[in-house]
Amino acid sequence: MLTRRILLRLANGFLGTAVGSLWAADGRMPAALLPGTPRAKSVIYIFLCGGMSHIDTFDPKDNKYAGTMMDAIGFGDNNAPMKRPVIPILRTYKRYGQAGIPVSDWFPHVGGVIDEFAVVRSMYCHQTNHFPAVIEHSTGKPLRQFEHPSLGSWVTYALGSANKNLPSFVNIGRPSSPVQLTGGYLGARYSATPFQPGDTPIPNLAAPASATRAERDRQMEALTALNAEFRAEYALDAEIAARVQAYELAGSLMRTAPAIVDFAQEPGHVKALYGIGEKETDDFGRQLLLARRLVENGVRFIQLCHAGGGNGSWDAHGDMETHAPLCRAVDKPVAGLIQDLKQRGLLDETLVVFTSEFGRTPWSQNTTGRDHNGKGFSTLLAGGGVRGGVVEGATDEVGYKAVERPHYISDLQATILQQMGLNYKKMDFHTNGRAFHLIEEGTGPIQAILR
Amino acid sequence: MNPRIFSLVLFAAALPAQPPKLKLWSLQPVARPAVPTDAAHPVDAFLAEQHQAKGLRPNGPADKLTLLRRATFDLTGLPPTAAEQAAFLADDSPAAYEKLLDRLLADEQHGVRYARHWLDVLRYADMDGNDGGVMPASGSIWRWRDWMIQALNDDLPYDQFVRAQILGNRHGGRPALTVFGTRTRAEAMPQDQFALGFLSRAALTGNDRDQDIAIQAVETISAAFLGMTVACAKCHDHRFDPIKQSDYYAMKALFDPLVLRTVSLATPEQIYAYGKAVAAYRRRKEPVDQAIEQLIAPYHEKLYAERVSMLPPDVRAIVLKPERKRTEAEQKIADDYFPVLRIDPPKMKAIMPAEVVKAYDALLKEQREIKAPAGLESHVIVEEDAARLQRPTYILTSGDPTKPEKDKPVAPGFPFQPPDTDFRYGRREGFVDWLTDKDNPLFARVAVNRVWQWHFGQGLQKSPSDFGLLGGRPSHPQLLDYLASEFTRHNFSMKWLHKFLMTSAAYRMDSKPGEANQKIDPANDLLWRFRLQRLEAEPLWDAILSSAGELDRTVGGKSFQIVKTDNKQSIFLPKDGTFEARKNRRAAYMTRGYIPSTEVMAHFLQSFDVDDGRTPCPVRTQTVTAPQALFSMNDPLIEDATAKLAARAQKAGELPAAVQLAYRETIGRPPSPGELDRALSYLGGDAAKLKGLAWMLYNLDEFLFVR
Repeated sequence: MLTRRILLRLANGFLGTAVGSLWAADGRMPAALLPGTPRAKSVIYIFLCGGMSHIDTFDPKDNKYAGTMMDAIGFGDNNAPMKRPVIPILRTYKRYGQAGIPVSDWFPHVGGVIDEFAVVRSMYCHQTNHFPAVIEHSTGKPLRQFEHPSLGSWVTYALGSANKNLPSFVNIGRPSSPVQLTGGYLGARYSATPFQPGDTPIPNLAAPASATRAERDRQMEALTALNAEFRAEYALDAEIAARVQAYELAGSLMRTAPAIVDFAQEPGHVKALYGIGEKETDDFGRQLLLARRLVENGVRFIQLCHAGGGNGSWDAHGDMETHAPLCRAVDKPVAGLIQDLKQRGLLDETLVVFTSEFGRTPWSQNTTGRDHNGKGFSTLLAGGGVRGGVVEGATDEVGYKAVERPHYISDLQATILQQMGLNYKKMDFHTNGRAFHLIEEGTGPIQAILR
Repeated sequence: MNPRIFSLVLFAAALPAQPPKLKLWSLQPVARPAVPTDAAHPVDAFLAEQHQAKGLRPNGPADKLTLLRRATFDLTGLPPTAAEQAAFLADDSPAAYEKLLDRLLADEQHGVRYARHWLDVLRYADMDGNDGGVMPASGSIWRWRDWMIQALNDDLPYDQFVRAQILGNRHGGRPALTVFGTRTRAEAMPQDQFALGFLSRAALTGNDRDQDIAIQAVETISAAFLGMTVACAKCHDHRFDPIKQSDYYAMKALFDPLVLRTVSLATPEQIYAYGKAVAAYRRRKEPVDQAIEQLIAPYHEKLYAERVSMLPPDVRAIVLKPERKRTEAEQKIADDYFPVLRIDPPKMKAIMPAEVVKAYDALLKEQREIKAPAGLESHVIVEEDAARLQRPTYILTSGDPTKPEKDKPVAPGFPFQPPDTDFRYGRREGFVDWLTDKDNPLFARVAVNRVWQWHFGQGLQKSPSDFGLLGGRPSHPQLLDYLASEFTRHNFSMKWLHKFLMTSAAYRMDSKPGEANQKIDPANDLLWRFRLQRLEAEPLWDAILSSAGELDRTVGGKSFQIVKTDNKQSIFLPKDGTFEARKNRRAAYMTRGYIPSTEVMAHFLQSFDVDDGRTPCPVRTQTVTAPQALFSMNDPLIEDATAKLAARAQKAGELPAAVQLAYRETIGRPPSPGELDRALSYLGGDAAKLKGLAWMLYNLDEFLFVR
């Protein structure tokens, strides 16, 4: 059920002109700020669209039930109760790092930096299909009855911007759902700004080919002159003052943003770390390098959607082997990101999250693939005050349900908020005569994985 | 004001644990107040009272060309052409302005402009959906939009405008005595079936699983036509306004019997032709289907038998039973196992010899190439379902259709329902009679306030969909009541109302800010000047294309889509043929909407504050942002328009004449002497630089703002 019509618009009628910076400079939730210096300044939130199988990657299970029929819920089949065949896990696991955390052969590079990661094996959510689950994951609400904002916009709203020339919440890569970018009732200016890797990270950032730099400068100058009479008459109007600012900002964006996506100055060995230049890893490697550069420029929340569009390519109903190229595409870049952040001393202040909307079932729909599973899945965290080399929680013996210290997705959000210096209990927004709380469920920050 | 602070203030102000039993101002009967002074126009008379009280000195009249641009954008959403400017300047008769208004109100583009306003309020969307589905009415919803354009152009009285969209019948559908003395229902105008898109648009699944039709009807109608936030009462009694949870569900019961129905719009000739095409399609396809079936039979059989043998014994027994011998419960189990037993082509190919795979692939290719004929033109309406009429309505826990509170049935009704409501001729009919009654204090007040807002940029009541306690009070209650009573007296004529408001001195005032007034009333709530307004996305788009000589002004038709989607996403979109190919049409026809899987709203619309249409949008926010500036500077649309406007200007003659024309076509006036000098000095005698000048004009503040 997804009735989500409500007239929050009523309050929005008073928004009036959003003057000033496009990306609000000041935090808007002073009451939610925790005392002291936050552990993390930025979040890199890596989201694998479609549902990565936890039992084939970071949550090993033996195959003793393989081939047997188990009582299941047909998540992909109208949630009908039925019996389903458990299919074997064809991966080999190896223990990595000092902690000896097992990682499957699909993630050898991540295995190499596993001492930086906390592996939470007991995540769960309520929704069982992609879009509802993605929405639940980003908004912390199992239903979209209201225009709930995504986590990144809450963080932006609460903390404001550290660089007024850049957005605070950036999304890279095609998401599963536009809701992952939404500012909801917080307002459109807190939505994610989509960045494209390439010369034009933001639409219309580059002048058309016909406009030379010198000519455009002359035009800008003449434009100012032609605007003069009107601006003199309407100087008292806030909108007109905002126009001047908007053009200044647009100009500074046109100058600074392309430089951030221009990797010409990056040394070869750094690019190699991310797998840039290698066929399978080049694309995601570039996105993660861009993410690091955004971190360096004070962007607070960088969300990367991998293999999104439609249900997401990680949706391996048919055959688990479809995971193989996807794992190869992200494994090396993610490990490279961790190493690069570490060597720059940025890892301590950058929280890296690696997750999907849900995991996958031990059983198949009579294929060699797996169905959706919101009842248990794995999320990895590194940096930003997270203790590396720890495993938190556990699923049952087949990997179906989170049974030891289960964590609702709100716990992940609360963890991120706390590390960013925000009191997760005070993430409230009042509109239309009622309060909305970001965190309403779960047990709070996952303290066991924090330093 | 910062929305958060604003709502906090309201929240705090309204916090007493037991809200006082207030008599809401908006529920008091509309009393036609006497016009206070003898100003030439009643609107000005009411405004003057507060001006005098506060020591405000209202601005003088705007000049003719400013007024022309203001009124033309306002009534048609288009800029005045150079020719229209010349004609208006040439007419120095005292009636010139009234003639202008008459011309604009008679222009068929007027309906396009005002339909866009109403469609915002009534949450029009070309696409809406959840979880992979798209609303069933998606393919034909534009017919509701076109109905509205027509209705507004015809000046359909407001009460009929509302009735038609709720009932599909502008007359209300009550029986009347004919000349022969028989009682028969007032017949609907045939085109009013399209007005029902208002209700059918709500369903997100074919069977309306989540009761969206009824739920959205309650929430949209109460906000749009009553100015009441009934939606809060879905989960609990309204905290501030006299609306109970039971009122919400009583109102929902009015719409619970509604189901979707697809109505064919084909002629008999088209139906016959379609029948022939379907027969031909089947003739071609059947042999291929059969060949495929024969080819795969042995492999399918083998795999199927394997799978059946893997089933748990109890399930296997059920599956092996002939269908007619299964109990209902067994049939359900068998159906549940369908996905388990479905054998997909790759599985069969895996066990076929190579040459059979080849033959199979060839047949599959042939099968794919035989395309079914395009379906017949149809549209989706709602109608009452006899079985549903018998079903009781219950309060739903948190509005969840799967959680009816069976101990809390509710009878059809509505908030503020008078005791003598007559439901004999239908639930909706009984409600709509009350809703559109001239004595309903909310009906006309809410409507005139919206129209006022569209003309003046802000309503007399600032929150046009909330006339409740949280909405605050109107700035000029007497004026609002005067307008409401006059609107009713003028038979709810919207064109009358437009002209009445626009002939006031207030509408014709200059918009320049002045320091003294600014100090007293910085937000201009008391209207001492005309409000400077940023063009909304649609008139901006139209103005760019119009000045470039490119705008296609065809009224009505399918929407067009400028967002590009990839293959992976397109499966979530409505089928081919839903959208119109021409992309130089008025932006009112640009698709808007929401699908959870796919971005469907053009970036252009989003950056200029257009909503996706999922919820009613009573007030467009008016932001001024950097992405907007980037659009005006760098978008390919602007790049293209600059070349075309330059070419048009060049045809005007010498450079000064070219500059004159470019100015007139973009900002609706000739350049001042100083501006002309500066423009010419930029051109430096080089006509090739006209493109650069055009770029500047599109980036002028004055291009984006209406003064």
